[in-house]
Amino acid sequence: MKILIVEDETELAKSIAEYLSEENYLCEFAFTFYEAMYKIETFQYDCIILDIMLPDGNGLKILEELKSQNKQDGVIIVSAKNALDDRIKGLQLGADDYLTKPFHLSELMARIYSIIRRKQFNNSNIINQNELQIDLLAKTVSVNNEIIALTKKEFDLLIYFIGNKNKVISKSTLAEHLSGDFADMLDNHDFVYAHVKNLKKKLTDAGCDQYLKTVYGTGYKWVST
Amino acid sequence: MKPLLSKTTKPFIIYVLIILVISIPVYYFVVDAIWKHELDEHNEIVAEKTSSQINSLKLSDEKLLETIRLWNKIQPTTNIRNLEKNDDFRDRIFILEKPHSFLDFEEIDRFRCLSKVIYLNKKPYRFNIETNIEESQETIFFISATTVFLFILMVGGLLMLNRRLSKSVWKPFRETLDKLKTFNLNNQTKIEFDKTDVSEFEELNQSLSKLIEHNISVYKTQKEFTENASHELQTPLAILKNKLDILLQNEDLTEKQYQIAEEMNRALSRSSRINKNLLLLAKIENNQFDNSEINLDELLNQSMEILQEHFEQKNINVHSEISPKVKVTGNIALTEILINNLILNAIRHTPADGSIKIKLTPSVFEVSNSGNQKLNPDLLFKRFSRFSKDNNGSGLGLAIVKEICKSQNWNINYKFEKNYHIFSIII
Repeated sequence: MKILIVEDETELAKSIAEYLSEENYLCEFAFTFYEAMYKIETFQYDCIILDIMLPDGNGLKILEELKSQNKQDGVIIVSAKNALDDRIKGLQLGADDYLTKPFHLSELMARIYSIIRRKQFNNSNIINQNELQIDLLAKTVSVNNEIIALTKKEFDLLIYFIGNKNKVISKSTLAEHLSGDFADMLDNHDFVYAHVKNLKKKLTDAGCDQYLKTVYGTGYKWVST
Repeated sequence: MKPLLSKTTKPFIIYVLIILVISIPVYYFVVDAIWKHELDEHNEIVAEKTSSQINSLKLSDEKLLETIRLWNKIQPTTNIRNLEKNDDFRDRIFILEKPHSFLDFEEIDRFRCLSKVIYLNKKPYRFNIETNIEESQETIFFISATTVFLFILMVGGLLMLNRRLSKSVWKPFRETLDKLKTFNLNNQTKIEFDKTDVSEFEELNQSLSKLIEHNISVYKTQKEFTENASHELQTPLAILKNKLDILLQNEDLTEKQYQIAEEMNRALSRSSRINKNLLLLAKIENNQFDNSEINLDELLNQSMEILQEHFEQKNINVHSEISPKVKVTGNIALTEILINNLILNAIRHTPADGSIKIKLTPSVFEVSNSGNQKLNPDLLFKRFSRFSKDNNGSGLGLAIVKEICKSQNWNINYKFEKNYHIFSIII
């Protein structure tokens, strides 16, 4: 998988690349507007992580250029601005997702994962992992061909874990993912524990292997090869 | 509150009153002194004239005695007498009050008297003269009457003049005041004051213009600062967050180190939340949101559904009364934030097994939660004023609620009744 990271903050770009590189993602960088323009014209990427606030140009122009050339690269806009009109404009211009800084790398990775899957498997988007089968379009999960009933949150969590295979994800990160903006307004993050516990139980009850491990007491990791 | 003019009029009138009251005795003494002085002079002249004219007749001593006797009979206000044995030859001036000798009715008259030694045919006689003088009480009465009349005239005139003047003189001031009342720092529109020919008002207008201009520029800078600072902070926060995510992937990490990283993660989330909220506040204040018609009941039901698990987790008993089809004008994103902030605030501050009531009628949206103690309503909506010991919040939740209400012309109130904290919004 080829990813282009358009980001003027080197540290940020490096962190993203480091996190993604462990999972077969090949990352390239563009630190300026012109570098980015050059790269999108020349190469093809599976996903572009696009910071729209670049010192020498507006990232939305890059998006426009991409669409005018009819390129199919997936695009995730990353912005320090949480302005609603920027978000709407970005999505209207054809971006697949919009993430506001600061974000967790696991959040970014989960979104990259689902964008790439969507682009690659338009009609039947099914993830297979041994006895586990996930239909991303129908939003169903089955173990050994037996469908198990998951709540919306449990399904969401499962996709998040699958998108962050072999990564340690902390409880607070999951809390932010599940409850969005108001995670930190809540006193405790026990609701995360409840959802994870239910998900785990449903999977094991259906005869699924224990891919989801608890690490360091409060962290989680989806282990698979 | 009284208008400025009545404040100045009253002391003026009191001052005039005092002066006029003092003037009554002063006038009396002055008039009386003039009277007395004039009459003393008159008496002296009469005495001199009498003696000199009698002497000029060159009468024999016998004739003189005859004349004196006759004189005493026909001149009622004067008489000429022989000296008493122990007479000290001194002139005396005095005031005598006695009943009128000729008129029938009993009335006391006042007289100015002169008793003087005159020489007739070189023999000393005592010449007494008494001249009628105005009585004190009569003088005082006339002076007082005149004074009261003048006082009424003066007060009446003053009030009328004031009323007339206040209308014209204070007109520019009122115009300035009306314009100031419409001023809103958020709009950042300058006020143009009309020119006036009163130097004080012109000075006032100029100072106000300067002050407003300065305020607008400071306000602008401050808001821009908040917005810029928040934006600038996002990137380092993002770097920190991402580095922590990478740190967690380190295989050599011990559980203790993981816990430390997780604590840092939580603190980071909080700072980014505060940052986002500050940005949101700055944007609301900058009027960066458009209003449209929204279905409040739908939004509320949606939020309740999302937050359902958090009610359950704290075992909170929720009682809701939501009227259908409540339409209001507002910004949908902001209204959602408002609803979430209010309900989350209630969830956070309700003890486990407590209860929350949510009510929506076409005119009021109310969120109440059980509690023990009334909170200070003055501090409740202030930024960063915390009431509970938990430090997880951004300290901005209710400040944002208040700002959103303000921007949508809603009114939020807090009260504590029957062990319930009640937040009600008049929509």
